[in-house]
Amino acid sequence: MAQRWRLLLVTFSVAVLLTVGALARPQIEPVSVLMPAPFADATTELVSAFNRSHPRIALSVTRGPLETEAVSDLAISSLLLGESPYDLLLMDVSWTPKYAAAGWLEPLDRWLGPDALGDLAPGAELGNAFSGQLWRFPLVADMGLLYWRTDLMAAPPRTPAELVAISRRLQREGRVPWGYVWQGKQYEGLSCVVLEVLRGFGGHWLVKNQPQLDSPAAVAAASWLQDLVRQGITPEAVANMGEPEALQLFQAGDAAFMRNWPYAWAELNKPDSPLRGKVAFTTMVSEEGEPHAATQGSWGFSMLAGSQHKAAAVEVLRFLTSAEAQKQLNLRWGYTPTRLSVFEDPELRAANPVLTDLQQALAAAVLRPLSPVYAQLSDLLYRDVNTVITGDESAPTAMRALQSNSERLLRSSGGQG
Amino acid sequence: MRWRLWLLMAPALALLLAIFAAPLLHYLWLSTQAQSVLTGLQPQPIRAQQWLRLWNDGRFWQDTWQTLRFSAASVSLEMLLGLAVALLLNQPLRGRGLLRTISLLPWALPTTVMALGWRWIFNDPYGPISRLLAGLELPAIPFLSNPALTWMATVGADTWKTTPFVALLLLAGLQTIPADLYEAAALEGATPWKTLRRITLPLLTPYLLIALLFRLAQALGVFDLIQVLTGGGPAGSTESLALYAYLNAMRFLDFGYSATLLLGSFAILLILCGAGALIWRWSLRWQGSLR
Repeated sequence: MAQRWRLLLVTFSVAVLLTVGALARPQIEPVSVLMPAPFADATTELVSAFNRSHPRIALSVTRGPLETEAVSDLAISSLLLGESPYDLLLMDVSWTPKYAAAGWLEPLDRWLGPDALGDLAPGAELGNAFSGQLWRFPLVADMGLLYWRTDLMAAPPRTPAELVAISRRLQREGRVPWGYVWQGKQYEGLSCVVLEVLRGFGGHWLVKNQPQLDSPAAVAAASWLQDLVRQGITPEAVANMGEPEALQLFQAGDAAFMRNWPYAWAELNKPDSPLRGKVAFTTMVSEEGEPHAATQGSWGFSMLAGSQHKAAAVEVLRFLTSAEAQKQLNLRWGYTPTRLSVFEDPELRAANPVLTDLQQALAAAVLRPLSPVYAQLSDLLYRDVNTVITGDESAPTAMRALQSNSERLLRSSGGQG
Repeated sequence: MRWRLWLLMAPALALLLAIFAAPLLHYLWLSTQAQSVLTGLQPQPIRAQQWLRLWNDGRFWQDTWQTLRFSAASVSLEMLLGLAVALLLNQPLRGRGLLRTISLLPWALPTTVMALGWRWIFNDPYGPISRLLAGLELPAIPFLSNPALTWMATVGADTWKTTPFVALLLLAGLQTIPADLYEAAALEGATPWKTLRRITLPLLTPYLLIALLFRLAQALGVFDLIQVLTGGGPAGSTESLALYAYLNAMRFLDFGYSATLLLGSFAILLILCGAGALIWRWSLRWQGSLR
């Protein structure tokens, strides 16, 4: 009997000790981040550095799909199911208003303070705050660039007419089969292309929530794109061209100009690239007196409203977007920073001579409309302009239809655009 | 005794209800609500407005036409080619086993992978077709950038992928036909054409119907092939109903309208199947009266 009592006592005290031990151990907060595959790969070292320096937080990154929209599908599916397993999302700038309107995002003002955007380079501060609140903090900057061949011309064109003239001369001389390649497929990339040309012709997508897509400038922009194909400066295949296809054609040396994002710079200058050292970039062409526009396409972190670990998630956000982290991402992976202090870092400037050019392009950044129905607006635009590019519709007719469809969409959305 | 019968069927019935009836009813309810990003994803009753919107949505009707066009073209091609392949694979050839395995390969590939492959084959100017044409000094064919051609390219890719599926089903059917029927036909001096028409096809009918049903149901809901190969373009010329419903749900976060779209295409499918069944019955009766 006594033995049994002793056994019970031992068991009990072991149980108590274990419980106390578990309670006394520092609470470890898990923070989970969903990123597109390339960013998950690029941040691997930063994540392990964070986990080393923050023993109380366990940061884990979910490696999402490669394709931009597939990442959104994954995030939305998990959000619709209620409790999302993620605390932070790395999102494209054009998704933010939709996610915010759906009630999925936590405003960051309270967490990051009033001067959160203070260090951002001009252009990078756009698209993070709207409807009076801060919804995201940008990790990398991204903007549309006009790539040109330094072996074919001394200086890049600055107006649409110059681009056409140089292309035609080079094509006539038989030096390139094509003049200019860009993204003309029926998808988001086309909206980015159109926005740049639209601004370059002096037009606007929306002004005070009113579409301006049948303005003379908008029609001129669409006609210019159509004429590029008609005149054989741009191949007909552009109507199904995304970024990889345009890069492929340009990199093969078959075009004099290409519109693409900064990632193409690294691709074009790889050791086995035929165009290594023969390429430069600038901003998009524009009519005299109009802006050289670069559509902003940056990636940034947003916090989910349903996160159970907000304070820890903010620490992660601060760490991953810090000047030190951005510097590393640029040195090692070529990602464009968003902080002014990183752009002006002398070491980085020496290592990456095009940083100044990128900073200038970023300063020319223009935003796609910040609207919860942006996905619909863009769908209308790229579908419609695609019919202009294939030649199935004339520019004035198509733009009139686009204008009335966009007006109807914004009206039915009750001015919430 | 009756109640025991029902009791034994209950699990199966409950499963069917949970899988088919519940989602359909939920969609029916959703189609009377405005639930979108504009309502903060909260449902708000709006009665039949979504249905009115559907009726007046030119894009819905355009996509309906495009989906039907795609399905009719690809399924007819697949049935014809599938039958031909099945007849061929049923012949006592040398290396038949290997041939059967190889002919199944396209079907074994995931659709997205094969769609990426076709995207490359149709690539202008670097894909193999364009290169071949350029080698022959012929102009390139804008398979993926010309609305008049692109839907045919999608039909081509779909036919390539799913002909093996039809062939497999029909091959199984062919093997159920007793060989002595063919022997008797041969003794009677029937031509191959007559044998095919009087023996093979009638006995294969149940298999043809099953293949047709499977393929039609899949083709009318086509999504992944189109999404990867064309994204619905150019100029919206290859967008299918399923793609449009997906856009509304996942990109636009307009769940009310997406549900309405799905139910609308479901209704069209029901009408088509009903019409098909009626025509089938009439044709049987007509044939019967001829005999």
